[in-house]
Amino acid sequence: MGARAREFSDDGVSPSQSEALVFATMCIIGLPVEVHVKDGSVYSGILHTACLGKDYGIILKKARMIKKGKLEANVAHGGMVETLVILTGDLVQVVAKAFQLLDDDIVRNITGEDTEAVAGTIPSFECLGTEAKMLKPSNAVVHKKQINNTRNSVQNENGFAHGFTATPSEDNLMSKIEEHEVRRKEPSYLGSALEIENGKRDSKILAKSEEAPSFPDNGRQVGDDRIQGKQDHSKQKYEFHRKETAHEIQGSSSSLDACITHMKPVEEIDGKMASELLPNGVSHDGPAPSCVKPNKSCSERASAAVMDDIFSGVPTSSNSVVGVTSVSCPTSLATPTEMVLPRGSISNKSAKESKLNPGAKVFSPSFTHPRSVTPPAVPAVASVAYVPNNSPVVPVASSQPEIGISPFAPRSSLPVKFVPYSNLIAGNGGSGSQYSQPIIGHMASRPQPVRYAGQYQPVQAGPAYVHPNSQAVMVGRLGQLVYVHPVSYDVVPGAAAISQLSARPLLTPNQVQFPKHQGSVPSQALQLCVPPPLLANGQQPFAVPSHIPLVQPPFPANRPIPVPGSNALFNTKFP
Amino acid sequence: MDASSGDEFAVGCILSIKTSLGDEFEGQIITYDRPSNILVLQEGSDSGPRRNIRLLKANYIKEFSYLGQAEDPLDPKKCCIDLNALQAREEAAIRQAEADAERIGVGVTVEAQNIFDALSKTLPVHWDKTAIVVMNEVRVSSPYLPESVSGGTPAANERVKKVLEFERKRLQARVAGQ
Repeated sequence: MGARAREFSDDGVSPSQSEALVFATMCIIGLPVEVHVKDGSVYSGILHTACLGKDYGIILKKARMIKKGKLEANVAHGGMVETLVILTGDLVQVVAKAFQLLDDDIVRNITGEDTEAVAGTIPSFECLGTEAKMLKPSNAVVHKKQINNTRNSVQNENGFAHGFTATPSEDNLMSKIEEHEVRRKEPSYLGSALEIENGKRDSKILAKSEEAPSFPDNGRQVGDDRIQGKQDHSKQKYEFHRKETAHEIQGSSSSLDACITHMKPVEEIDGKMASELLPNGVSHDGPAPSCVKPNKSCSERASAAVMDDIFSGVPTSSNSVVGVTSVSCPTSLATPTEMVLPRGSISNKSAKESKLNPGAKVFSPSFTHPRSVTPPAVPAVASVAYVPNNSPVVPVASSQPEIGISPFAPRSSLPVKFVPYSNLIAGNGGSGSQYSQPIIGHMASRPQPVRYAGQYQPVQAGPAYVHPNSQAVMVGRLGQLVYVHPVSYDVVPGAAAISQLSARPLLTPNQVQFPKHQGSVPSQALQLCVPPPLLANGQQPFAVPSHIPLVQPPFPANRPIPVPGSNALFNTKFP
Repeated sequence: MDASSGDEFAVGCILSIKTSLGDEFEGQIITYDRPSNILVLQEGSDSGPRRNIRLLKANYIKEFSYLGQAEDPLDPKKCCIDLNALQAREEAAIRQAEADAERIGVGVTVEAQNIFDALSKTLPVHWDKTAIVVMNEVRVSSPYLPESVSGGTPAANERVKKVLEFERKRLQARVAGQ
């Protein structure tokens, strides 16, 4: 033929792979296909995965022989086979019938009109002398290769595979090559990247928020109506990733309360972000990225190793855009909790509001400066808790030792769903900040604790997320984040119960491993920030006693389980 | 056609291909992967957005003829795939396949399957080996006649008999009409 062939990958990693073959294969995953094999047999099944190496083999699910070939096969004619592996030597052709290659539900156009390259969260660690950098959408496309290369390198270092591989653990046909291919070839979808250069750590996140409901948390504006409409979908998707990272969440959650992270907003970064994004006109559609930098006092304690762990240990899924912005200070437990000041990007919010719904309603953020605190690792899918636009504005002092339950009832009529395993929901899930998405979600499994919810903003908006039957109350108290489930009032009677739990932690950090399918709220929300003396021997996550209903099957939504602090405010506010 | 020959298929070409297994079709080349010798084609040109996609081992091409050239139908560099949507699609397909599989009797005749399908339109049915279980209590065994109905309350039994008789008549009428 001598004609042009599609370009092979020029990244040097897998030059043998055709991007289009990978793409086409990915496009037909999950579709019923017919597979013709060498002996003339035809099998029908759902394409589960494929080996995209030199030997192109596939795996079918629910396969059935629909045409008997010449040779004897171990598959009965008409009988269904749960998983059928067809090796390359037997494969003749795969036919996907009546299939739209560029299905809008699956395939997104990067350069389409609906594509937003939303610059995501970029953590800034002043202690390390780094700056947050934002990528313009155009730059994001240009630098996608670099990002992904870096990202892969980070993954390799960690031994942790980001995100989605089309191959479940039970299959071995989808090789790592494919992972690399997929990541490399859909960089902007994969979204996040950690870039380490010259000692600087910048997290570059680019996402197409409109087209990627799977990672709506990457700074995605919570108040976006469209995202509100996708809550169910996102949550559903999240369920899948939750399974994969459940243990990581459990492990990491233990460190959340033990230490306190001092964070404060980076106003100048916001300005920079806005300046870079505005010309492209996409920043307002996307969420204002969460930028949080640690307080200097805390950053002094944070060693480079800690930062390494924070970044390297980020368990994210490839389809999630991770805004990793939190800094943990393992030794700052005894220090007073400094509240995370809300990050001010009013201009962005206003512009966004006007664009989304000009003049339709008054934008009323919960705080003058929406707080943006993200845990070390927040998989995008995990951060699916959305805060309605019209969250009530509740004045909360930034450094109150005790913060009671806000008397303001959430005015939002928009349903907000909890994301399981989102301990940050428990801590921050109620945050009225519309930029709180990066906060919510999986917590990375790492020893570095992260203090968050300095102001305990969820106090006022917390009930908005709670199941209607729930009377969740959260009481913030100077490093103590306690939840009490309404059902467990009798078993956790106020401060006494807290001290009791603290003195006798029921679970060691290693033991805080709930089954993957259990609700995350118990394990996450019940990470109690105990007073320093109780944590002398290290981070001690505290779980509720076994008789406290950790798993709440009757309630689809996760409910924060508030535990009354010593002030027992909830008793007064929630009789 | 073998990759070792050094020839490559041109993206966008519309070919008429005949495979060594006897298939014959026309399609446009989406891509050709030399290492795996896989040729990806989409069939049809004017049949709308939904087309058949074929991933064909090129060495099973018996003969082909060039029909024309069209634009590159796919540029993966400008597209990305929603992996979550893929996952959801696969899960949904598997669920559907499982549901469909439960409706197919194993070792039953075509008539039995037709009766099952007919009954399933009005009553909850499932297979218990070769017996059709209706409403979890009434069993319809081979040869699936009204006399074969057993079990269940008298009312349910009678109901199933009537429906079965009606469906059999309808099926017979359909066969006679053909």
